[in-house]
Amino acid sequence: MRGFLTLLGISMAHLVVRTRQTLVATVGVAVGVGFFLAVSGMMVGSDKDFVRTLIDAAPHVIVRDEQRAGARQPARDAYPGAAVAVAGVKPAEEVRGLKDWPAMLADARALPGAIAAPSLSGAATLQFAGRTEAVALNGIDPRLEGRLAKIEASLVGGRLLDLEARPDGIIITRPLADRMGAKLGDTLVAVSPAGVTQRMRILALVEPDAMAGFYAGDNTAYGLLRTAQVLFARPNVVNQLHVKVADPQAADADAKALEARWGYTWESWQERSRDVLNLLVARRVILYAVISAIMLVASFGIYTGVSTSVADKRRDIAILRAMGFTARDVQTVFLIEGLVVGVIGAAMGFALGTALLEALSRAPLTVQGKPLVIPLERGLEQYLIAGAASMGSALVAAWLPARRAAMVDPVDILRGAA
Amino acid sequence: MSGLLEVEGVSRRLADPQPVVLVRDVSLRVDRGEFVAIIGPSGCGKSSLLYLLGLLDRPTTGSVRIEGRATEALSETERTRLRLRHIGFVFQFHFLLPELTALANVALPMRRAGLDGREAEERARALLAKLGIEAEGGKRPDRMSGGQRQRVAIARALANDPALILGDEPTGNLDSANSARVVEEFRRLAHEERRAVVCVTHDMEVAAAADRRVHMVDGRIEGED
Repeated sequence: MRGFLTLLGISMAHLVVRTRQTLVATVGVAVGVGFFLAVSGMMVGSDKDFVRTLIDAAPHVIVRDEQRAGARQPARDAYPGAAVAVAGVKPAEEVRGLKDWPAMLADARALPGAIAAPSLSGAATLQFAGRTEAVALNGIDPRLEGRLAKIEASLVGGRLLDLEARPDGIIITRPLADRMGAKLGDTLVAVSPAGVTQRMRILALVEPDAMAGFYAGDNTAYGLLRTAQVLFARPNVVNQLHVKVADPQAADADAKALEARWGYTWESWQERSRDVLNLLVARRVILYAVISAIMLVASFGIYTGVSTSVADKRRDIAILRAMGFTARDVQTVFLIEGLVVGVIGAAMGFALGTALLEALSRAPLTVQGKPLVIPLERGLEQYLIAGAASMGSALVAAWLPARRAAMVDPVDILRGAA
Repeated sequence: MSGLLEVEGVSRRLADPQPVVLVRDVSLRVDRGEFVAIIGPSGCGKSSLLYLLGLLDRPTTGSVRIEGRATEALSETERTRLRLRHIGFVFQFHFLLPELTALANVALPMRRAGLDGREAEERARALLAKLGIEAEGGKRPDRMSGGQRQRVAIARALANDPALILGDEPTGNLDSANSARVVEEFRRLAHEERRAVVCVTHDMEVAAAADRRVHMVDGRIEGED
């Protein structure tokens, strides 16, 4: 430790003598670290916010009455090793709906901390004052569905639970209501493909608001499950299960396991959003590539500073060696120079980055007249990455000239000076 | 009984850029309490021999023993450690670190040897006092005269209480008064403190003050008186 402090003292003396160069290199690192924190804070913040919305807005797993592949032909099972060709196969027409759904629901609820709810969804038309609109009507259990998906946050004029009190209630989107000229409390006529007609009263409107939560589209409507079963003339039938699990990251594995057991399509939020998640990964790669370039430029300042120091101090290196300092000691002196610039630059960069993030959080931005809060990530992880990148680039930048310093032959220098 | 410094059949050849022999088959023994001057014309290999004695360079053939310890087979780190503890260098140019004060320059080898900062500073102050320049301890080299700087360099060479002091033209850059003080100091180090002092010099006054004069020509020892 004492040896290190001695070497640190020499390094500091070198840095202090070359104040201007040291300052330029330090500011270079500080700007790199500061902008890394600001840019990554915005990118990671928006990524996390987006993923949070994806996770919270809709059920983590949706089970549909669909199969991923056609039914397996018995001939293939009868001749497992043979080359079997079955021609002219036409799949049997199955009654739509999830068979044995109460058992599936119980199985889904057995997942740790899981909530699961049945749903019947189908196409219907809504009529009001001579206008007709096609909608996807979701028959739900309002008490469970409200805990599963973030619909409640988007409702105006009423609540999801109001459906329990009014079995003839319906919730439609505000744009759809506008198109039909309907208002809260108006009664619409719903018609199903089965020809069943039912009068339904608007209990709440879904407001499309990106800040509030999930929005499935203008032509989505919600009603009571029992009401939907009557309307679609499919009593006791359920064609979807909605599942929310305690650990959203485990949803994909849970869905795969249950799909293997039950068949049907168990679609996790990760599967539904695969393209978007891949896009986020690509964004991260771009972010880190840009930041690496900034840090690379910053490290040039350190490289130049330490290189100049080594060139200026060749005589001092020789005398240190003559005094009894090893080549490794000499190398350490110049590595410390780079590291000190990296550490001070990172500290200054932390302050700059924090200030930039604070300024961004207070920026008075609006979208469509509504205040926009930029989602920012200010976690320790970003600071650790920035600090490590700063130290790493400082060490790499200082290593080459430090190595050159260690290889200086003191005899060559002393002979030249004599 | 072995001498403090024993050199046996040492040669140093360089292959690049063209083959040249710097030191040829030199044998030499220096005991504690001796002040030896190596003299000879420029380019005769005096400094090259000094760097071999100080373990800054390795002989092509032959051996250098310090306090009875053979140095040929030692690693570079072991040779450096030996140099730190047992050898002190004084050069023609003071070669003090310009960013450090006189006190810090003298304390530096002690701190490298493991002394804590306070103890090293106290000992450095005592050394500067011994050489009559205690008042200059807080000054940087560029604020001192040539004679003061060279005395700081001597203090630094004595930092770890080495048995062997090597001087490479230590008076070459000094006026006669300062030169005389340095010579007197070297005599004192040899005779009173029982160290071995070896000086490469062109200065006849230094040579005259030495106990022995070793004459070198073309890398060989031609004789001594």
